Amino acid sequence: MRSPVSVFDCHGHLGTHVDFPACKADPDSMVAVMDHLNIERLAVTSTLACYNDCPRGNAEVDALLKRYPDRFFGYITVNPNPPGHAIAELQRWRHFHAPPLIKLHPGLHRYPVIGPNYEPIWDYANQTHAIVLVHTWDSDPNCGPLLFVALAKMYPRARILLGHSGVTWRGYHQSIEAASQAPNLYLDLCGSQNHRLILERCVDRLGTSRILFGSDLPYLDASMTLARVLTADVPDAAKEEILRMNFLRLLTETT
Amino acid sequence: MSRSGIEPLFAEAASWDLFDANVRVGPSGIHGELALGAAALLEEMERFAIRNALVSHWTAEEYDAETGNRALERDLLPRFTPAWAALPDAEALDALAARRPLAVRLSPGVNQHNFPLASWCAGPLFEYLQARSVLVLISRADIEWDVLARVMADFPALVVVLLDVGYRSDRYLFPLLAKFRQLHFDGATYLAHRQLEAFVDRDGPDRLLFGSRLPLYTPAAALGVLASARISSDARLGIAGGNLRRLLAACRNRAAQVGA
Repeated sequence: MRSPVSVFDCHGHLGTHVDFPACKADPDSMVAVMDHLNIERLAVTSTLACYNDCPRGNAEVDALLKRYPDRFFGYITVNPNPPGHAIAELQRWRHFHAPPLIKLHPGLHRYPVIGPNYEPIWDYANQTHAIVLVHTWDSDPNCGPLLFVALAKMYPRARILLGHSGVTWRGYHQSIEAASQAPNLYLDLCGSQNHRLILERCVDRLGTSRILFGSDLPYLDASMTLARVLTADVPDAAKEEILRMNFLRLLTETT
Repeated sequence: MSRSGIEPLFAEAASWDLFDANVRVGPSGIHGELALGAAALLEEMERFAIRNALVSHWTAEEYDAETGNRALERDLLPRFTPAWAALPDAEALDALAARRPLAVRLSPGVNQHNFPLASWCAGPLFEYLQARSVLVLISRADIEWDVLARVMADFPALVVVLLDVGYRSDRYLFPLLAKFRQLHFDGATYLAHRQLEAFVDRDGPDRLLFGSRLPLYTPAAALGVLASARISSDARLGIAGGNLRRLLAACRNRAAQVGA
């Protein structure tokens, strides 16, 4: 199985898993899978930073970008706790990409995305026109999709990717509802639940320009979301936008 | 790329003789928008080159076992193999035996058929099923790991197919697979990065069955993982359908030996 479209993938990781044995998750194995499936570029966040240690995790991403400058983009992962550290981290790694790619994980960092410790980060994202990938989950008090409507309106220059689009059937519908109310909210398709008809419903409600392919590689098998997109009942042009053009456009828009 | 994208993507799957271990049919009070009647289910299977499926009925799972089994009888198509709802009650066991089952799907949860899987309750049911090598399908969400281990220890010939194991289960699944040869599982949610091929490298392909979780999930996901896994052709064919057909054939043979 191979994508006929050269893919730009907005959601990947670097590192191992806390809760089950990692299989072939090293960068060389990731690149082999990307070659196999025709994923040209993958934007990664450090899993270590998502869980436990942002400075060390972001340094791992820095090393990866130096080793594979043409295959990966790097998110700067920041934690709202302790307050004040995140902006220094964003400054330290600002060479990753312009405009910046920022990753937030309110679920693992156990802090609500609308809480005051996130405000400086959102201000920074708004000022820099950043792409902000945020983990979301159906109705979660820290990162439920509906929390993002007010944030997106408060910080209209930040491009906010709803990571996993809330994951579940209901979470996806919450994400669709949120995105229908704010033009700077985007849906990321990666996730472990693969409901029939949901991608078609996203396209029907939002059009195609704000739906992005994400794999969650090397956490989830990239081929499942790829197959989900390629077999969806939407036009070929929509698939090409989702698999490549939409993320590419976000990466190159500077104003 | 065609509009459906399926033909070029999964062209090779047409030759795999896919047999899906994880399918439900009929109306659902919980998943109404996704539920499919028999004809629509068959159409969806056709789209993904799924030749056969083990099919249970939502009505049995969400409402009443016997009502659901009768609905399944009405909805059966030649390419469906029924996975009957089963209860521990003596009367229900008689009704099940009359259907000469090849497979059952258990729903013991408190909001479903609400019965313990312990021998003091489900013992006669498990005795019947293991004597005939009937496949026992049960979702991981409906059985705790310790209970599963106890059931398999008490009934060592019971053929268990654990559905929807999820991708985070390896530290539970691997020891149980090593200890209990009767345990199998489906790949509908076994979808972590290169997890399927790592499992085949480790344990071989024989215990893993293709499952889609239709009509809730699109078969594209599990099929994509199977199609892209770097495993041998024989391993892929076994997972796609060979393993399940082997288990069903063993059940037919056993039924012929022991009689109804």
